[in-house]
Amino acid sequence: MNSQPFNAWKLVSLSPLPVWALVLLGVGLVLGIALAAWGVRREPSRGRKVLLWVLRVAAGVAALFFLLEPGIRHLQVARMKNRVAVLVDRSASMSFPSEPEGPSRSAQVGRFLEQAAPALTALQDRFTVELYGFDPELAPVTPAMLGTEPPRAGTTDILSALRAVGAGSQGARKLSGVLLFSDGADNTELAAGAVGKARTALAELGVPVSTFVVGQEALKDLAIEGLKVDDFAFVRNSLTVEVEIHGRGFSGKEIPVVLSQEGKTVASKTVRLQSSDDVQPVSFTFTPDQTGRFVYTVTVPTFPDEAVSDNNQRSFTLKVIRDRVRVLLVVGRPSWDERFLRGLLRQDANVDLVSFYILRTMSDDPGVVSQERELSLIPFPMEEIFDTKLDTFDVVIFQNFGYADPSLSISEYERNLEQYVHKGGALVMIGGDSVLGEGRASMPTLMQALPVEAAGSANLEAFKARLTPEGARHPVTALGTGVSSTEAAWAELPAIPGINTTRARPGATVLVDHPFHLVDGRNAPLVAVWDYGRGRALTLATDASWYWAFTSHKDGSPNRTYDRFWSNALRWLVRDPDLTTLKVTADPPSVEPGKPVGVVVSARTADYQAAQDAQVRVELFSVATQKPVAVLTGTTGADGVVRLEFPPPAPGPYKLLASAKRGEVDLGQGEDAVAVRAVGPELSDASVRPALMEQIAKVTGGKAYRLQQESALPEVPLLDPPVVEVGRAKDQPLWDRWYYLVVLIALLGAEWFARRRFGYV
Amino acid sequence: MVPLLSRRASAFGEKSRFIPAVVQHGGRWDARLNGLRRIAWELQRRTSVEVLPDARPCMLESPEIFEYPFLYLGGEGDFPPLKDLEVENLRRYLTFGGFLLGDANDGSDGSGFDASFRREMARVLPQSKLAAVPSTHVIYKSFFLIDATPGRLLNKPQMEACTLGKRAAVMYSQNDLAGAWSRTEAGDFEFDVSPGGEAQRELAIRTGINLLMYALCLDYKDDAVHLPIILNKRR
Repeated sequence: MNSQPFNAWKLVSLSPLPVWALVLLGVGLVLGIALAAWGVRREPSRGRKVLLWVLRVAAGVAALFFLLEPGIRHLQVARMKNRVAVLVDRSASMSFPSEPEGPSRSAQVGRFLEQAAPALTALQDRFTVELYGFDPELAPVTPAMLGTEPPRAGTTDILSALRAVGAGSQGARKLSGVLLFSDGADNTELAAGAVGKARTALAELGVPVSTFVVGQEALKDLAIEGLKVDDFAFVRNSLTVEVEIHGRGFSGKEIPVVLSQEGKTVASKTVRLQSSDDVQPVSFTFTPDQTGRFVYTVTVPTFPDEAVSDNNQRSFTLKVIRDRVRVLLVVGRPSWDERFLRGLLRQDANVDLVSFYILRTMSDDPGVVSQERELSLIPFPMEEIFDTKLDTFDVVIFQNFGYADPSLSISEYERNLEQYVHKGGALVMIGGDSVLGEGRASMPTLMQALPVEAAGSANLEAFKARLTPEGARHPVTALGTGVSSTEAAWAELPAIPGINTTRARPGATVLVDHPFHLVDGRNAPLVAVWDYGRGRALTLATDASWYWAFTSHKDGSPNRTYDRFWSNALRWLVRDPDLTTLKVTADPPSVEPGKPVGVVVSARTADYQAAQDAQVRVELFSVATQKPVAVLTGTTGADGVVRLEFPPPAPGPYKLLASAKRGEVDLGQGEDAVAVRAVGPELSDASVRPALMEQIAKVTGGKAYRLQQESALPEVPLLDPPVVEVGRAKDQPLWDRWYYLVVLIALLGAEWFARRRFGYV
Repeated sequence: MVPLLSRRASAFGEKSRFIPAVVQHGGRWDARLNGLRRIAWELQRRTSVEVLPDARPCMLESPEIFEYPFLYLGGEGDFPPLKDLEVENLRRYLTFGGFLLGDANDGSDGSGFDASFRREMARVLPQSKLAAVPSTHVIYKSFFLIDATPGRLLNKPQMEACTLGKRAAVMYSQNDLAGAWSRTEAGDFEFDVSPGGEAQRELAIRTGINLLMYALCLDYKDDAVHLPIILNKRR
């Protein structure tokens, strides 16, 4: 039995009549009163008139009183406790010091909540106080945890936390208010401020959010922000990287900014910060000279009293691709060999051809009076093409070019050309009567870059080129869909009249040779290739390959061997990614701190079929320390692909170096680059955003405070909890008292008596 | 000729040299063989090209023409229609990169060699008719800077060409180019040149050099790197 007393009451009507009946009766009473008033309208005595009206009205009210049967309803009620949520930001930026040399922002909140414990306890009378951290998921915390467990969340999502706490965990209990402790460094929905949809969402919460901003804005910090760069660039085309240097507490200081590629400085600039909180843009324009994917890093120095040093460098990956292959064709003299090669290169849309032909030498007599006016010849720009602009070419082709004549000799530029190949360029030497052991120009330095060396006089006997076993599979000479179709394609070519006599250097691969002309017991190479340093070189030891282009058509059957050979050769020389048998791709190319590094390896056999069950080995190599960090192995599936994942490494640039084998067959090597970022969005910015916290308070009806200025918990706006009736109710009638009936009868009797007295009855 | 040719020692045999081949047809095809030899000699003398100054007769039906990417087809008077095999072979020759120089040794226009040549070209390359070569064509600057293309005669101010893609596969002159080039064994020029005399002959030789250079270098002199300098020279 509930012994609690009644603690509330209200006046009620106990009449069993429905409302409409009560209304009708009420209207009837009013009509009766009005009728009586009408009946005495001609009463000359004002006093009598008033008396009769008063008596009739009083009787009417008394009758109404009985009709309504008024009573008192006694209630036993209790007030429901709603919730007040205390939300503490647990993102990584809360680990910054709240003031220079001070405790972390998170620890400061913990101390404040410990001090405010009595005030929070006092609130428990009316509310259930809940303490949560958000990272951005809600989880219960204690003030002690805030000081001992560092915050680590990678993002700050205040709106999501407010929505989650509003949904609540205790069924129908509503939220009366929120106390939000944060530095305001939201980097999700509120990153741009409480505007637009975010503002609407805040307003729709329907609870006041009082904010406590933690941390001082005056921390000293230098950060690299706002990196803008394209995902890819074209080789030998300039591109621009834009960054912003944000300095707090560096007014008037000059800051050097360095752009480096895997440890090598690419460009550097200096910026001057004008004020104590300044952002200065910096742009770097540079020209990548190699294709591939590379990691670039922008760095500013770290000063001793900076709040955070991890945001002083930022890495990104850049994929450098080729738009067209830029070919320099240098021709010793016009010939049919040159004519058909030019015809092929000119009609190839993927080739940007620059050519220079020696149309006359000093010993030729054009028979003109004025060479300047009568000849269309231009000076041979040796310095420009072999020195200044050499690096702008992807491939340099020398076609029977060899002059001892000082006016045409390239001896001065041989070292340039040799180094050009060594550093990644591509060189083709096509034979004839002026090169590769013929003519008087030996070009010893340039010859070092070639896969063959001269070995005697040319052999002028006609012969049919013979494909070697290596040539049957090599990307340059593999012309068919398989070995047999490739061999058939080469066998169909006509005989050619003559070969320069050369021998292959150690490490060179002979793709096509002479069937019976021997050099040191081996068949003389006709087409040979090799890698030289970072570059590649190819020799074609004849000036009669035009037979493959032209004479091959004499029987009427179409023949594209010549075209395909040169197309393959150019692609191989410039390291076309599609020609590699092992493709390595970092997935993704840029990794957030603490995330694993993924790599996808695609292996193909020499005839470019998917290599199933290939054994793949990938090494994660740190460019910063020049040391391997980890090695993973895997096996490719039916599609020749395998995906591997390295555990999260330290921030910095890395190379992924892969190799693959299937049984004893080597499937090649490949590499890619990946950047592991030093800081995520949380730690890149040490700033505090009191303006956002004020906006949140304003929009939701709360109040904004600065934690450092509060010594105790202030009185924050909270919604009153609703009253809820939970106990008994008891009705006490008022109308059934005898004296109310006596009053009614007296009133009615007095009116009757007065009417009779005044002559109305 | 021989002493001049021995200036340069050449180790790669004749196939690497420029050899003018001459089409043998049913009419008078061999009226200007000296002229061909002479222009090849001039090519060797004035430029870096290595030649064999030998006018090699070729039958159009023979696959042998594919060993000579330059063909000369001249004649005095008309010639009978080519056989179908000859037409087909010549068409394939031109399509895959060969070059044909047609030369009306009789200076005819509408009759004689001219009529026969036009008739046969319409069969060989029906999709590409002979059309006037514009003055901006690269043959006007492929070695010499020239403004006209006369021969022994100056009946027509312009040459005509059949073009395949961007390449002129056939060039045709009605001015008897080879007549202006031709010398006797004794060294005298075989024919007078009119109306311009020896100046015209030199221009005809230069026209020949330019044509051969075009056959060998195609549109090399149209490359962007040459344009500003050539434009400057022409001012």
